[in-house]
Amino acid sequence: MKPWGRILWTLLSGPRGRRGAPQVWALNPWKSHSSLPGLWSATGVVSHWTRVFEERGIPEARESSEYIVAHVLGAKTFQSLKPVLWTKPLTPKQLQCIQELCSHRLQRMPVQYILGEWDFQGLTLKMAPPVFIPRPETEELVEWVLEEVARRPPAVGTKGGPLFLEVGCGSGAIALSLLSQLPQSQVIAVDKEEAAVSLTRENAQRLQLQDRIRIIPLDVTSEGCWTHLLPWGPVDVVVSNPPYIFHKDMEQLAPEICSYEDLAALDGGEEGMDIITHILTLAPRLLNTSGSIFLEVDTRHPELVSSWLQSRPDLHLGLVAVRKDFCGRPRFLHIQKSAP
Amino acid sequence: MRSGFLRGARRLWALRGLSRTAPPSEELFAREGPLRAFLDRRAGSGAGGLDAGGNQLAAAARLLSEKERELRDTESLLHDENEDLKKLAESEIAVCQKEITQLKHQIISLLVPSEETDESDLILEVTAGVGGQEAMLFTSEMFDMYQQYAAFRRWHFETLEYFPSELGGLRHASASIGGLEAYKLMKFEGGVHRVQRVPKTERQGRIHTSTMTVAILPQPTEIKLVINPKDLRIDTKRASGAGGQHVNTTDSAVRIVHLPTGVVSECQQERSQLKNRELAMKKLRARLYSMHLEEETTKRYNARKIQVGTKGRSEKIRTYNFPQNRVTDHRINKSLHDLESFMQGDCLLDDMIQSLKDYADYESLVEMISRKD
Repeated sequence: MKPWGRILWTLLSGPRGRRGAPQVWALNPWKSHSSLPGLWSATGVVSHWTRVFEERGIPEARESSEYIVAHVLGAKTFQSLKPVLWTKPLTPKQLQCIQELCSHRLQRMPVQYILGEWDFQGLTLKMAPPVFIPRPETEELVEWVLEEVARRPPAVGTKGGPLFLEVGCGSGAIALSLLSQLPQSQVIAVDKEEAAVSLTRENAQRLQLQDRIRIIPLDVTSEGCWTHLLPWGPVDVVVSNPPYIFHKDMEQLAPEICSYEDLAALDGGEEGMDIITHILTLAPRLLNTSGSIFLEVDTRHPELVSSWLQSRPDLHLGLVAVRKDFCGRPRFLHIQKSAP
Repeated sequence: MRSGFLRGARRLWALRGLSRTAPPSEELFAREGPLRAFLDRRAGSGAGGLDAGGNQLAAAARLLSEKERELRDTESLLHDENEDLKKLAESEIAVCQKEITQLKHQIISLLVPSEETDESDLILEVTAGVGGQEAMLFTSEMFDMYQQYAAFRRWHFETLEYFPSELGGLRHASASIGGLEAYKLMKFEGGVHRVQRVPKTERQGRIHTSTMTVAILPQPTEIKLVINPKDLRIDTKRASGAGGQHVNTTDSAVRIVHLPTGVVSECQQERSQLKNRELAMKKLRARLYSMHLEEETTKRYNARKIQVGTKGRSEKIRTYNFPQNRVTDHRINKSLHDLESFMQGDCLLDDMIQSLKDYADYESLVEMISRKD
């Protein structure tokens, strides 16, 4: 082994057991591949970590490895790295940084938490455990809301853009992308978790959208909670990606989800309807006449929600449209308030 | 008669091209020439039944012959014995000549038909050709050059895909470019670009010749190209399992297949899947549109030498010769020196593109006149 290689080897295999993961290095795959050419370039390091992740059964081995290396080199994706950075030798500091981030991945930490940020719609948002990581489907929920807002002229007598209420704002992904694309709009965002409330606040400030968002710590399942929201209303649109996983499905979730994300943001109770029904009960009191509700749900929910609404005519809500996600699964609901 | 005229015009231009002067409008406007006959007919045809452009053209042609008559009349005064009158004549002639030049420019710009796509945004595609790593390195430099040119022109430039090679070159990349006259100018860049130099990897100092290809695809508006969503298959890595909150994956790559044509467009440039889908769609639309345009143009006979847009893709259009520090455009036989500045993508590249545009204008004018004869 060349001296440079030995230094690197020490560096990469580095203080064993740090971050409480001695087993991580038990296989020590680095050693066996250290003679490969281009090992210390970005591409070499990506291949190396891909192999390590594969051997350790880490999902999305190549993607994880590419995102981490690209991130350390200042790019969002490996695809968008300048070609000179592909082959340029990495500095020991960069290698150390990659090593540290990859060791988190070996612990099944989601890549979005490892990088501390992720993109949603056109925005880059800070991500921090245990706040729920926005999924790509939810970008389509926002698209749908934007389409509907564009189709409808603002109601007579209203000033400026629509007023949204987002229930369970998490990192602020939905609220902030609506605000950034609708410059006249305003959002009331609520979440019962303090971590989510402060992450949404931080993201709003980073994107300089803090003046049009009101972030309120609120549990929509608590008795009479809607009275706290009355002073800010009435709202034009309620939007939410509520916890909708059926409780019995929770144990099948991957370690990335169940060991790192706030399970309260995922577990929707026995039929995944617990929070959905709370939102639907609360919304009519806060919505404008003919106001709308947009929800992301489980594929079994369109029917369940429809029959639940029929059992509650007092709410004056009707399911007007169901939309499929990019995988063709019924995923989004548009519910509208009708005159009592 | 027509082809003879075109050949003559080309020879004329070739000579001009070497001396790097403005387009030969003097020759075009020569008395008894075809453009004259054409303009005389236009000037005589009056306003009735012509569109706005035609009206303007007829007016400009009339004004031109008036000014030329005025010039001739004034010229006779140059021989007058009265010194004051002579001086007056001289200054009037100067004014007259200036006006005549302006009118000629106006006539050319009115006559040169603008392409349907001229105002479009565009997709730039660069692909390494013959020459292995060296071709890929050159492709990467070319992509940078166009990015800098877009900045120079204050155009919007967004990379859509980027496939580097292992050794720091670029296999293929594409970008979306938008802004004032973007397609009108960039369309002349489509074709095969050849580089001659000693590659960094060459130990014996031999000069290699490599190539790369540039394609310029106009970006259609929503109206110009309508795609039926049912004709699309969108592939993502989330196709299996329950989706939604049940899974947390990071692979945001998107692949769109246009089923009727089999055209495929992919993007994994962004972390947001939605954004990747938008970019892939942009590229797909541009490809389908240029296929459509290509079909249209092959239907029409086209004698032009500069096959602008997508038609010239296989033609070798330019050579970048590093040992001689020279770039030569073979279509107009124009050479510029100082390759390094040229590759900066500012004034020199702009100069070359303007010459190409002048030539294309000139050629389409010649073609148009001979067609209408």
